[in-house]
Amino acid sequence: MKGRPSGPQPHRKDGYSTFRGGWWPCLCLLLGSLLLGSGCGGDHERQEAGEDSITVAEALSGEDAASGFARADGPRDFRFPADHGAHPDYRHEWWYVTGNLENADGRHFGFQITFFRFALLPQELIRDSAWGTRQLWMAHFAVTDTEGETFHHFERLARGALDLAGAQADPFRVWLEDWTLAAAPDTTGFEQLEADLAAEDVALQLRLEPRKPIVFQGERGYSRKGPEPGNASYYYSVPRLYAEGQIRLPEGEHAVRGNAWIDREWGSSTLAEDQVGWDWFSLQLDDGRELMFYHLRRADGSIDPRSKGGWVDVDGEHRVVTREDVELEVLDTWTSPDGKATYPSRWRLHYAEERLELEIEPTLADQELRDGFRYWEGAIRGQGTAAGESVSAVGYAELTGYAD
Amino acid sequence: MILARAGLRHHLRNPWQAALAILGVALGVAVVVAVELANASAERAFTRSAEALAGDATHRVTAGSAGLDEGLYAQLRRSGVRPATPVVEGYVDGPQGRPLRVLGVDPWAEAGVRDTVAGAAFRVDAADWLGSEAAAVLFEKDAQRLGIGAGDRLDVEVGGRGRSLVVAAVAEPADALTAEGLRDTVVVDIATAQELLGRVGRLDRIDLVVPDGAPGERMLARVAEHLPPEAEVQDAQDGAAALDEMTAAFRLNLTAFSLLALLVGALLIYNAISFSVVQRRPLLGRLRALGVGRGQLFRGVVAEGVLLGALGTVLGLPLGYALAEILLELVTRTITDLYFVLSVRDVTLAPSAVAMAAILGVVAAGGAAAAPAWEAASVAPRSALERASLEGRARRWVRWLALAGCGLAALGGLLLWGYGGGLVVGFAGVFALLAGAALVVPWAVYTLALVAAYPAGAVFGAPGRMAARGVAAGLSRSGVAGTALVIAVTAVIGVTVMIDSFRGSLATWLETTLSADVYVSAPSQAGDRPPALVPDLAERLGAVDGVEYVATARYLRVPSAYGEVRLRAFDHGPIGDRGMRYKDRTADAWERFEAGEAAFVTEPFAAHHKLATGDRIALRTPQGVHELPVAAVVYDYTTSEGAVFVGRAFYDDHWGDEAINSLAVHAATGVDREGLIDALRQAAGAEAAALRFRSDAEIRQLSLEVFDRTFAITRVLQLLATVVAAAGVFGALFALSLERTGEVAVLRALGLTPRQVGVLELARTGLLGGFAGLLAIPPGLALAGALTGVINQRAFGWSLQLSVDPAVLVQGVVLASGAALLAGLYPAYRAARIPPGEAMRDEG
Repeated sequence: MKGRPSGPQPHRKDGYSTFRGGWWPCLCLLLGSLLLGSGCGGDHERQEAGEDSITVAEALSGEDAASGFARADGPRDFRFPADHGAHPDYRHEWWYVTGNLENADGRHFGFQITFFRFALLPQELIRDSAWGTRQLWMAHFAVTDTEGETFHHFERLARGALDLAGAQADPFRVWLEDWTLAAAPDTTGFEQLEADLAAEDVALQLRLEPRKPIVFQGERGYSRKGPEPGNASYYYSVPRLYAEGQIRLPEGEHAVRGNAWIDREWGSSTLAEDQVGWDWFSLQLDDGRELMFYHLRRADGSIDPRSKGGWVDVDGEHRVVTREDVELEVLDTWTSPDGKATYPSRWRLHYAEERLELEIEPTLADQELRDGFRYWEGAIRGQGTAAGESVSAVGYAELTGYAD
Repeated sequence: MILARAGLRHHLRNPWQAALAILGVALGVAVVVAVELANASAERAFTRSAEALAGDATHRVTAGSAGLDEGLYAQLRRSGVRPATPVVEGYVDGPQGRPLRVLGVDPWAEAGVRDTVAGAAFRVDAADWLGSEAAAVLFEKDAQRLGIGAGDRLDVEVGGRGRSLVVAAVAEPADALTAEGLRDTVVVDIATAQELLGRVGRLDRIDLVVPDGAPGERMLARVAEHLPPEAEVQDAQDGAAALDEMTAAFRLNLTAFSLLALLVGALLIYNAISFSVVQRRPLLGRLRALGVGRGQLFRGVVAEGVLLGALGTVLGLPLGYALAEILLELVTRTITDLYFVLSVRDVTLAPSAVAMAAILGVVAAGGAAAAPAWEAASVAPRSALERASLEGRARRWVRWLALAGCGLAALGGLLLWGYGGGLVVGFAGVFALLAGAALVVPWAVYTLALVAAYPAGAVFGAPGRMAARGVAAGLSRSGVAGTALVIAVTAVIGVTVMIDSFRGSLATWLETTLSADVYVSAPSQAGDRPPALVPDLAERLGAVDGVEYVATARYLRVPSAYGEVRLRAFDHGPIGDRGMRYKDRTADAWERFEAGEAAFVTEPFAAHHKLATGDRIALRTPQGVHELPVAAVVYDYTTSEGAVFVGRAFYDDHWGDEAINSLAVHAATGVDREGLIDALRQAAGAEAAALRFRSDAEIRQLSLEVFDRTFAITRVLQLLATVVAAAGVFGALFALSLERTGEVAVLRALGLTPRQVGVLELARTGLLGGFAGLLAIPPGLALAGALTGVINQRAFGWSLQLSVDPAVLVQGVVLASGAALLAGLYPAYRAARIPPGEAMRDEG
């Protein structure tokens, strides 16, 4: 990934977005990264491009920019497999798979597979050329080799034309060139999935089988982020999937298995002015229960009260977790090698309702994606007690808005 | 030291000769430098743009001008081939009439292949980039030149239609080299390029960055799995090299012409130095008597020559630079007319070209001075005082020189016509021929002058005889002057006859091949792919009253074993092979051609690839590689690269599309041309505006215009050689008259009036010029024969009908006498004013 710009400096004003939670600035950030040249250009170019990208950010932040796009403005009746496919009239959408795997010797690996879709314009373009499209796709692929202390991450972009990238519902398939996440042969939806990604000398092939039903986040899948009804997204998850397959790393191949988590989200909403970043956690407890929650950080250091999450019981029963329900204390921080970002790196979590006490830490400190745009997304593990019983957890965290 | 001072004083006292010698070298060097710089700049511009456009790509997938199905790219990417990036490119007419290269790319695939292009595209907001059908990025230099910036409209013309792009951003390439290579380039989204250039669904190529070793092999293997039959994977450098090679012969020709100018320049040096030696004979004799060694004298005189050469070179370099600006324009236009679109804005100072010209200038001068230096060194101390001894020796020498010259000319002839050999051998032959002619000239002048003395004496009496004998008597001077003039006039005759023959051959060919009445095509940038016509146009035009048949032609470039070749597919219907001129063919050539069973190749194609009737040629088609026998070699002057002709049946079988690039409308006899064109326009309907309807006469006219434009550069060089020669003649005559001051004084003392003396002097120079003109005819014709029959054949593969217009020969003689008379005016005037007594005193 030669010559990648080191960070999305131009967007300080809007803060740093997350990819989850249905917020807008990630698009600004994305466009910033596009403007930054995705792998080219010197400092001068970056700086120049930065000036341009502010106008883009300005143009795209705020409600005006969202006008014309479809809005998540109330609960909807999810239909599957149709809703596993793309919703092209919404401004952004993603398919997010994270998970923790081990080989036969107990060697730990984390992985992240994300497909992002962005509609750049509200209306479909009618052009003679098949290359003309308003849809732009991006995919991130990362593998954490905890024991090898290496973090491999890759980013790809393609327009949603000529089948270079896209998503279809039946049978389900989302792809960007040769990176794919798809329903296994003879299945249609999420009953059994296959992921196949390869980049340079890192590759991942997984078979994924849900162990829990789909969980609809927020209000039956309608996840509000602000006071306006349209300031929301549609959001559902599969909180636990059994994963089994192969990881190929530069130093060798590993047969692996473990647990994965899928997030699906789409919307057209924008981020509030005072929100600067986002800490998102998913935890899979070894007693078969899951907790997801996110903290939306504001410029003044406080946590936005709209932050929330969800608790899933062993039998898949789901309940919303509010900002007040979960206490999270940062115990330590980690600074990225170039000194440009400092992230929290160890936490103590307390969820009173289930009497859950966990100390959480990354499996590897450096799981920062330093591609076109910069954020920390990595495997975490937790140790503690639930209702007095000893419990351990694995999961993923996403930390955005920390880079200068 | 004493030698140097003596030399310096001599030249200060006789600044004219030194100045002329310097001028001669300066002009010669200037022409060489100019041609070298123009060539180097054109090549550099080509290389830079090829490099900038290739970026880091090592390979490209191409299928000739028809391009690739865009789906192939998606297939490659989906199977993990990367970096791979699609390109749609073409030319449009920019705002100032200059061609603009439209580079259509997918920015998200560009990174790692062409970072500068990716960077340029990413300056535009992604929503604008994808959302606008007209967004374009200009590079800074072009934006400045065009005087437009971000947000402005950029009006272009494509295939005769006006289109507007919007400058979405102005980008600055990462480095100067890339900036140079991307000059006159506008970057647009690939969708925009497809729509703008009429290439929807097609890609011109897919660029690949293939790593070394096993991963690279795996990548190429994966590409090969998806490759359709008409496509091939090319080494990125090979493609550029092949294009570059096409122009090599053209550039070599220019270099040869420039060397001719330098040759004439060197003769001038020889002239000036040898004259200065003659003038200083008494001094040199005294120096010898004082004990100066022969070696010292030799070195001294050579040093003088080198010094003059160096001065001339110093003057010639900037002159050449200025001249290069003019030549570059001509070179660029010729390359665009004949080969591919080339845009060169500035002359780049190529150190190698400058060094080469400088070395040539100094070496030529030193070499030219060697003979007089040897002469100076070989005078005996006493005989140096006598002029007669010199002339006596000169007369003895000229015979040997003439003999050597005959030998050299024969060698030249052998090189030219004896064996095959390449273009360089051909040029060596030309130079041997010229050098041989140059050596024969002094003897020929002497003999002619002696012979002419009788008729001249009979007609003009004593003065006439004196004028003729004077030429013979001053052989050591007039020989050199005559030689310079002969060489220059030889070049004029040779080149003029060659161009005339060429033009004549082309005109005859046009006459016989333009068998239709009206030709219909869509306008395109010269050198670019011609746009396709609507498929049913032929049918519609065929229905027009008075139209007998509408023949169609399809032009494309296809990959083959010979690299990318020009392929033309013809549908002639009932017209048959009217319009084909065969050089050689098999018995049923046309029938097999029409049936799609055989191909024709043009003469240059046959020459370049050593093909003859009966050979087979393999073409890459969408149905795979197909081999066809060559049933005929046809004359064709449209491309020096050569072309392969096939029948439409073959095209339809293998390409299966309806694409047509040009129509030839054959009308029934007696149909009015103007009325027909109007009717055709009407039938074409809405498309008519974007079509060109041209009568055969118009096409002929335009073709000859392109021809004349192509040869403009040759004419310029020819003119320069003549100017150099005229300067030489002037110098020689001036020297001659200076030397004859004493003789003139005697004549005056004998009672000739100043007017008579003046006329005598003019007659003498006029005679010299006339002789030179006459003497230039045989080598001129030989040169013409060499250029048309050998050089052109080897450089371009065209056979030309040698046609000699006697007027050209007369012109040569007139030119030579005229130049000589003009050059003799001042010396004659000067001679006439010599007071008898004083001049005689000088003679001591």
